[in-house]
Amino acid sequence: MNIKNEILQVESLTKVYGKGNNRTMALNSITFHVLEGEFLGIMGASGSGKTTLLNCIATMRKPTSGKVILRGKDISGFCGKDLAGYRGQEIGYLFQEFELLDNLTARENITLPLALHGVTEKKAEPRIQEIASLLDISDVLEKFPAQMSGGQKQRVAAARALISDPDIILADEPTGSLDSKNSKILMDKLSAVNKEQHKTIMMVTHDANAASYCSRILFIQDGQIFHELRRNVQMESTKDFYRRIVTVMAQLGGGSANVL
Amino acid sequence: MFFKQVRRNAAKNRKGNGLFFGSLVISIVAFYTLLSLGEQDVMRYLATVESDAVRKLMMLLPVVYMVSLFFVFFLVYFACRYQTDRRRRELGMYLMLGMRRSRLFFMLFCETLWSSLLSLLIGLPIALFLTEGISLATAKVVGIGIIGHRFSLSPYGLLWTVCGFVLVQLLSMAIICARLAKTQPADLFGSGDTKKQTVMSATASTLFFAAGLLLLLIAYYLGIAQMRTLRLSVLLSLVACGILGTFLLYRGLGGFLGARIRRKSPGALGLQTFTARQVQENVLSQHQSLAVSSLLLLMALACISYGISMGFGRSDDSRSVDFSLFDEEQQIDAILEKDDIRGMVKDAYPLYLSMVKDDYYFGGEKTFDTQKLADALRTIDGSDNMIENLHLEYIIAESSYNRILKNIGKEELHLEGKQAALCSSLARDGDFGTILEGALKKGVSIGIDGKDYGILPTLYYHNVVADRAITLYMALIVPDDLYQTLARNQEPYCRNLSLSDEVVESMGLMQAVQKMNSLLTASGIEYDSFLGGIGRNLFYTVAASYLTIYLGILFWLIANTVIGLNYLISQRQTKGRYETLAILGADTDSMCRSVKKQIGIYFSLVLCVALVSSAAAIYTMFTSFTKLPLGASISTVAALSAAALAFFGAVEAVYIYIVKRTAVREIKDSAAEQRDL
Repeated sequence: MNIKNEILQVESLTKVYGKGNNRTMALNSITFHVLEGEFLGIMGASGSGKTTLLNCIATMRKPTSGKVILRGKDISGFCGKDLAGYRGQEIGYLFQEFELLDNLTARENITLPLALHGVTEKKAEPRIQEIASLLDISDVLEKFPAQMSGGQKQRVAAARALISDPDIILADEPTGSLDSKNSKILMDKLSAVNKEQHKTIMMVTHDANAASYCSRILFIQDGQIFHELRRNVQMESTKDFYRRIVTVMAQLGGGSANVL
Repeated sequence: MFFKQVRRNAAKNRKGNGLFFGSLVISIVAFYTLLSLGEQDVMRYLATVESDAVRKLMMLLPVVYMVSLFFVFFLVYFACRYQTDRRRRELGMYLMLGMRRSRLFFMLFCETLWSSLLSLLIGLPIALFLTEGISLATAKVVGIGIIGHRFSLSPYGLLWTVCGFVLVQLLSMAIICARLAKTQPADLFGSGDTKKQTVMSATASTLFFAAGLLLLLIAYYLGIAQMRTLRLSVLLSLVACGILGTFLLYRGLGGFLGARIRRKSPGALGLQTFTARQVQENVLSQHQSLAVSSLLLLMALACISYGISMGFGRSDDSRSVDFSLFDEEQQIDAILEKDDIRGMVKDAYPLYLSMVKDDYYFGGEKTFDTQKLADALRTIDGSDNMIENLHLEYIIAESSYNRILKNIGKEELHLEGKQAALCSSLARDGDFGTILEGALKKGVSIGIDGKDYGILPTLYYHNVVADRAITLYMALIVPDDLYQTLARNQEPYCRNLSLSDEVVESMGLMQAVQKMNSLLTASGIEYDSFLGGIGRNLFYTVAASYLTIYLGILFWLIANTVIGLNYLISQRQTKGRYETLAILGADTDSMCRSVKKQIGIYFSLVLCVALVSSAAAIYTMFTSFTKLPLGASISTVAALSAAALAFFGAVEAVYIYIVKRTAVREIKDSAAEQRDL
């Protein structure tokens, strides 16, 4: 892993849903930084605000206040062309339900973000082949999603997130719709992307197994960062990190008084 | 509470979907227009002169009504389906909140009835206004002037409009509810079952496409080259090839588009590939609707063209002689001297029309030598029957025919030396006139008493007497001195009478004819009137043009609504894709452009096939069973066709615009929703 500079800064990010008496504070002035090449996990109970956080960074939701700064640019104020340029080019997004377009082949799905930003499939062919072989999907490039397994679909979605060489990949429960075998394959591949291509990945997950691939985990509760776990990548195996994650999760389940 | 909810939901439906509400109003207008036909000025007038024919038409109306009901059902069904599809989530929510399915369906039925009531309140006044307009316009077009126009409300039309409309609405809703009853609440929360991209092998789709194209070409060939013979077997093969060809073409079109997309996608930018795949998906999953819509449009165009040519092609050729009087010369003279009659008459002249003397009659010693005419006819297809029946027994004096021509403002004949002209009142319709005129153009002569008389290349077709029921198969117009030599009867056949232009203009043709009718009847003279002839002629004109234009417009609206709503339903089902596109970096503008392009291509796919087929169909129609009458002004019909085509294009453009606007609004609403959460 190659940790150098801060790539993403989240400053006092607040998101409030509803109005008046119906206000719900999903994010309560969250601040944290992500370093380049990091594999960051976000964990927390349902309703803790982790998906809202990811969506605000992905510009799928407008924050009520605060800043999201990617490579020195405040993206929370983006709109129109800037916003479209940011999406798909500077971030790659991986969904729980894959969200592949059913009527496009794998190849067309993968190259869609490029086409949207003015690059033809012909031009990107070497990159497509590289990513396809990295994610082991070369055989399904000409197939439609209906002709693929769940694991293949999620790897095609991962290729789509990677194709435009974004600064950061945001993944929302990427293993949520996969069985354990395919979950492991996907996490191995994402880990390889992180290590070999030095891609920064930020992943929201419930799954301790998936989280054990991360280098750092932020635990969120009631819209605030509640706890942080770091893994010593050189010294600590994923198995040992998994145990620590499970312990924290158990303690979180018992309330804040039990936390380390 | 329940009914408040019903009213609120119905209002939301109307607001959110003008297309749906518009379709309902259109169906009401369509029903009432048809059903109130009996109350129209023209029909009321015709009922007085041709009561039997009108009665027959009125008996036909329920059949046309049932056909309309059947097609309008599809229109309403698609509109209702689109409407309930929009509300899947809401309906699922009602179920999850504990509403019984029966109550949910009752609510939907109540909403439907409430919407029906409001549509009727809006649609019926529009229908009344429209039928009044049509009534006045038709009266003018067919040349009867305004014969005491009166506002007409047809209680029978109203009753059946309401019954038919409500029935169609409830039936559509019942089918939709039956489908809903089988859907699990969880499925209702999804965006509907998006169709998986089915992959048809390239060979199969190419085969379908090629077979479709081939069958269509065969149908065009049969129509253009073989329909003149009007054989039932040809007609059946044409219809079968046309329908099957259209279905197969659309069946294979998806694969054809897929191959094109594959070829183009390496160089595609933006949403090009997505747009093309969306269109391909719609074609693959809805190829049957596309084929049906295309065929409906074809029928619409054919019906409208037929209606226009019937309605307008005939209108100005109908009047050549207003009255023919058959009586003693002195008696006629005495009647014409009466002040009230004389004031209305422009011209009165004897018509010299007679059979030839026995010697010249068929089988006689001096029978006309028609060999050259028969030779010329032989060179023209389809003339066999005519050559067999070729006989010339009637002659008309040139001066008499010139009076007819003069009275209707046409150029008179100038027969010089050994010249004659041919006249046939059968020449107006069908192939008869075209074939005969074709032969005359080749330069024909007829031998009379061993001398050759050159026949003018123009075929004359004007009625020589007022009653159109009397037809002249073929008569020779000859110079007056020759007439005297040949005619069996030297007395005039009758005295023809033309009404004064001022009287016609001030009273309207019909009223003028009716007045003269009563004067002549009172005088006890034997006569034929233009009225008797025009009644039948007018009846066929009105019935044919009105019903075909009506059906044409109905088919047209239904085809458009089916295409539009089908597209909108599929867009709703694939709404999630646009959200994904937004996350992948597509801005709202480019998505809106993509949607507009999809709609444009989708409509074009249907319109192109329909236009090509209808061009072939219209050509077939005018070269086989429907002939433009000889007297019809080609420029008028061409101008009318161009105007009709422009109108067609304009309405299509408006329709496409409405669908585009609806689709774009959905995309924009969804984008705003996502961003503002």
